[in-house]
Amino acid sequence: MNLDEYRTLFLVVTLGLALVAAYPALAMVVPFTGASEEFSEFWLLGPGHTAEDYPFNVGAGEMHSIFVCLGNHMGSSEYYMVYVKFGNSTQLDFDSSKPGSLPPLYEFRVFVGDEDVWESPVTFGFQNVYIGDTVLIVDNVTMNVPIEDAVLSVDDVIINGMVFPVDASTTWDSEKSGFYFRLSFELWRYDTMLKSFRFHNRVVWLQLNMTGS
Amino acid sequence: MTSWSKLLMVSALLLFLLPFFTLLVSASSEDVVTLALTEAEETLASTHEAVLEAEQAGANVSDLLDKSNLANEYLAEAYVWYRLGVFENASRFAGLCSDVIGGVRSEAFELRDEAKKLGEADFVMNMIWSVVGVSVVLVSGSVAWLVFRRRYHRWVGLRSEVVSGES
Repeated sequence: MNLDEYRTLFLVVTLGLALVAAYPALAMVVPFTGASEEFSEFWLLGPGHTAEDYPFNVGAGEMHSIFVCLGNHMGSSEYYMVYVKFGNSTQLDFDSSKPGSLPPLYEFRVFVGDEDVWESPVTFGFQNVYIGDTVLIVDNVTMNVPIEDAVLSVDDVIINGMVFPVDASTTWDSEKSGFYFRLSFELWRYDTMLKSFRFHNRVVWLQLNMTGS
Repeated sequence: MTSWSKLLMVSALLLFLLPFFTLLVSASSEDVVTLALTEAEETLASTHEAVLEAEQAGANVSDLLDKSNLANEYLAEAYVWYRLGVFENASRFAGLCSDVIGGVRSEAFELRDEAKKLGEADFVMNMIWSVVGVSVVLVSGSVAWLVFRRRYHRWVGLRSEVVSGES
C-alpha cells in the first residue's frame, strides 16, 4: 500500500466515524426508518369475540351481539367515526369507494392511538316486522300472497338499547331463499386538512335473513 | 259583547296560535342543540389536532386519548338523540361532552407546549453533541493522519537506507 492509498483509507474511516458522530442531529432531520404503508383495519367479530357465529337468521324480538373493531396503522393518532346503517341490499349496495346513501342510525366516535386497536360491543334487534299489507307479527304467519311476491318490512331497529324508526323493506330472494337486509358499519376519518370527517373507504356489514321468529 | 264571549274568543285565538308557538319553540330548541353540537364537535376536533401536535413533538398522549374518548362517547350519543328528534337528551349529552373536553383540550395544549419545549431542548443538545462529536473525529483523524504520515516517511526512509546500505 502506498501513501495515497493510506490517505484514502484514513479519509473513508474518518468520514464514516464523523457520520456516526453526526447521527443524533441527522436523525432529527432525516427519517431513517423506512416509509411504512399507512392504513386502517376495520372488522366485525361474532358474539364469542371470534370471526365466527355471526348473526344471520334474525327475527323480531330477538337480540344479537357482535363487536365492531378497528386498528390504526396510520403512523399517528387518528380521530375515527363509525356510522351504523340498516337497509336492504339495494339501499346499501357497497363498493367501498363511497358511503351508503342512507342516513346513519347510530354512531361511534373515537380517538385511536397509533398501532392501537379499538373495539366496541354492538347489540341489535328488530321490532315491528311484517309482511305485505296485513300486519303480521311473524310468530302468527298467515300470508294471503305467495312468498315470491311478498314484501317484508321492518319498522324499528334497536341498537345498543335505543330504538330507531326505519323505512326498510325487501322482497323475497328466491336464489338465497330469504328476506335479506344489511346492517352496515362505515368507517370515517377526521381529515385535519379539510377540518371535517371523510369516508375512509372501509365498510363492513352483516347480511341478515329476516326470518321473523 | 259579553265578557264571556270575549274570553271565549281570546281562548279560541290562543288555541289557534298554540301549534305555531310549539313549532317556534321546537325550532329554537333545535337551533340551540345544533349550536351546542357544532361547538362540541369543533372543540373535539381542535383537541384532536392539539393531541396530534403533542404526539409529533414526542409526548405520550395515551392518557389524553382515553379522556377524550369519554367526550367522544357523549358527542356520539348527542348526535344519535338529535337524529331521533329528542333535543333535550341531545343537548344534555352535548353539554356533558363540552364539560369533559374543555379540561382535556387545555391539558392537550399544555402537553403540546411542554413537548415542543423538550423537543427544542433535545434538538439543541443533539446538535451540540453532534458538532462536538464530528469535530473530535475530524481533529483526531487529522492528528492520526499526520502522525501516521510522519512514521510512514520515517519507515520508508529507513527502508531505503537499508536497501542502499546493502547495495
